[in-house]
Amino acid sequence: MAAPPEPGEPEERKSLKLLGFLDVENTPCARHSILYGSLGSVVAGFGHFLFTSEIRRSCDVGVGGFILVTLGCWFHCRYNYAKQRIQERIAREEIKKKILYEGTHLDPERKHNGSSSN
Amino acid sequence: MAHAAQVGLQDATSPIMEELITFHDHALMIIFLICFLVLYALFLTLTTKLTNTNISDAQEMETVWTILPAIILVLIALPSLRILYMTDEINNPSLTIKSIGHQWYWTYEYTDYGGLIFNSYMLPPLFLEPGDLRLLDVDNRVVLPIEAPIRMMITSQDVLHSWAVPTLGLKTDAIPGRLNQTTFTATRPGVYYGQCSEICGANHSFMPIVLELIPLKIFEMGPVFTL
Repeated sequence: MAAPPEPGEPEERKSLKLLGFLDVENTPCARHSILYGSLGSVVAGFGHFLFTSEIRRSCDVGVGGFILVTLGCWFHCRYNYAKQRIQERIAREEIKKKILYEGTHLDPERKHNGSSSN
Repeated sequence: MAHAAQVGLQDATSPIMEELITFHDHALMIIFLICFLVLYALFLTLTTKLTNTNISDAQEMETVWTILPAIILVLIALPSLRILYMTDEINNPSLTIKSIGHQWYWTYEYTDYGGLIFNSYMLPPLFLEPGDLRLLDVDNRVVLPIEAPIRMMITSQDVLHSWAVPTLGLKTDAIPGRLNQTTFTATRPGVYYGQCSEICGANHSFMPIVLELIPLKIFEMGPVFTL
């Protein structure tokens, strides 16, 4: 996805692609979700086996646990990532506006101070 | 531009492309989980000792594997439609450029502030300077400002072409007799490459698009108008 690094730049981490296409290293939240999913899978599958001693059914529970935990972590992480991106964008716009309008009649801080003193 | 053997998307240079990359990641994770489930089902099928082939009553399973894919499709469709409508938002472009496809070069017209019209041909290999990109660099680049909404009007003078710049998330067909419109706002300066994306003859692979995006202050000084 990214351009190869220029000389002197830190090298990008080698991308690990699960099933040949899911780039876990360079996709935000993917590594976090897959790791928690794997943990969830082991906990669910092993836990089921401890209670029932059924191997095949425990494997099924493990796979189901992996899918559910991965999906849950993924959506939770992506939601927070999207909120963070929006906040970054707002902050960037506000900094730009402050630089442009500081000292002028359009300065938001002047408007705010004016209204609070009134 | 893409580096050698690149399979994934290029880094985003516009907000729309950022959204497209986000959606791509979202869809890819769903695809990965479905592939994982199917591979597991395949593994179970290949390793089962059950050999009775007369099982026919599986109402619950059939209900699940009908409703679950429907839910998955909704989960994919909603963000997809959101981005689709986002690309059609009206954003009051400050500059309009016309791009006309020919066999096998592009013509660009800056008619907002004067009548600048020029052709953009691929640089033949013999004319490349050291550092130039083979099959990508052109003689005249399209110079545009960053952080300003730009409208591209795209058409063709002969056959179908397609004006595409992957890093901006743009691909618009150039159709003779029709004027297509696309808008974008670039967020960072640089030189960005694209290639014709509709088969148009022998030299279809040899009519690239090169955008040179520069800060608005420098664009206003008029470098593009000194051609």
